[in-house]
Amino acid sequence: MYEEPYKWVEAVGNRRQYLDEQFKQGSPVVALAYETGIVLLTVSKGTPKVYEIYDRLALGGMGHPADLEKLRFNLLEMAHVEGFNRSPSDVTGSRMVKYGIAPVIKQAFEEVFKAPFIVKILLAEIGQKSGKETFLSINYDGTFEEGGHSAVLAATKGIEQEMLKSLRGEEPERRSLEQAVGAALRAWALGDRLQRRAIEGEAERGDEAAAAPSSTDVPSLYAHVRETVAEKSIECAVLDRSQTGSSKYRALTPDDLGRLLPRDIQTSIS
Amino acid sequence: MGMQGDFFQLLKTQGYQFGVAAEGSHDQQVTTATTILAFKYRDGVLVAGDRRATAGNMVMYDRTDKVLEIDRHSVMAIAGVPATAYEMVRILEHSFKYYRRTQLQELSFEGKLRAVSKLLKENVAAALAGTGAVAPIFAGYDFEQESAKIYFYDILGAEFEGVEYAVSGSGSPTIRGILHYVNTWGDQPLSVMTEEQSAVQALRLLTSAAEFDSATGGVNREANLYPVVKLITAKGIKTLAEADLKHTFEASVSRRG
Repeated sequence: MYEEPYKWVEAVGNRRQYLDEQFKQGSPVVALAYETGIVLLTVSKGTPKVYEIYDRLALGGMGHPADLEKLRFNLLEMAHVEGFNRSPSDVTGSRMVKYGIAPVIKQAFEEVFKAPFIVKILLAEIGQKSGKETFLSINYDGTFEEGGHSAVLAATKGIEQEMLKSLRGEEPERRSLEQAVGAALRAWALGDRLQRRAIEGEAERGDEAAAAPSSTDVPSLYAHVRETVAEKSIECAVLDRSQTGSSKYRALTPDDLGRLLPRDIQTSIS
Repeated sequence: MGMQGDFFQLLKTQGYQFGVAAEGSHDQQVTTATTILAFKYRDGVLVAGDRRATAGNMVMYDRTDKVLEIDRHSVMAIAGVPATAYEMVRILEHSFKYYRRTQLQELSFEGKLRAVSKLLKENVAAALAGTGAVAPIFAGYDFEQESAKIYFYDILGAEFEGVEYAVSGSGSPTIRGILHYVNTWGDQPLSVMTEEQSAVQALRLLTSAAEFDSATGGVNREANLYPVVKLITAKGIKTLAEADLKHTFEASVSRRG
């Protein structure tokens, strides 16, 4: 039935619809540069969504945990074998994505008889020097984008754009870790709130997307975090250039977060 | 489900070969090294090694680093054929990282010890052929037991715990006796020595080894060459700076008079 070309195009189109539906309730992921590295943040329920991949590489993901796990293992295998056979400096996010998992994701997406990966992936990489950060985000169809200061994952491109817009502004080299965690959390809240509104909007007005103006005022964003974080936890990790040893990844502990999170949030979490 | 998080296994599935004996290698003079030592002091474990690599009577290199950090809390000091030893260190380093990153938890100290044994066992053919014998000391902080520990191995992979100290390499017979003497009848046992006192002992021991073993480098003040000395505690690994070693050497090691 899919032998005819237009049927195949139709099948791929259906797939997009199906996949878009899967991400509607997912938790957005934010990664952004700060003075000594990169912060990755999301709010998760149970299964983690932020992981260490290699010495200078970290991953954030959205989607089905089993699919994410499979791709995470692919990346880990690739990175470690490459790092051992060549050198750790040859393990770059860009190579991992372009020649590693992007083709795999694309192939799974287009093979309409098989199940696609229900994942969106973000790879963050710190350079030896400040300002040499790389951010890559891969969509469920294998398309990827590269950026220099930040990257986000959310249910739709539109929401991702809004989140990225909120992160623009100050120079990342001057942003302290505390400021970066605050900015990442506000961007997460903005994305999550837009996603929820989109779902509510659909319920109320049929399939029309919610077009409510996205207010970016800080108190309302923190109020949203306080509402949602009760039964979940804030997951945050850094790639920190100033860390000793070759592995630069460090997951922030609840104690670290207690110090770094904005005050209005701290009380509701403790 | 197969064994998860095993990097060495992963390498093998990719066609990697380790510990293969080279034929007709018995009359070759391969590069070897060393005197290495480790002992427990007040705050943890001190690991030290000289810096000479030799092939037969020839000194190949005088800046070899034989005390290598595997991760934030473990160190392997190498004696034997450096080519094999460095490869082992690289495998171990990647194995521990791979395990942590895939399994989302640190490999236990016991697991790390097993990994060293396993590599040595895989290397037996090369060790017996004469081209790949390695007898390392592995030291690290064991968080389950809350103490720093020392293990040493023979070239076949047998594992022994150094309860107070361990030595390996061609210069080790000399200092083994000294360590026993100092620890038993010295002013104080090694285990209560401070960081500074331990550093003095390490430098004196390696200087003694160099006195009687031509394959051990000792200290070369003219070239500003000092042994590598690392300290392992719960906080991590600290490498003593050359300037501090120089100061210690001049104050408490260089011969009186």
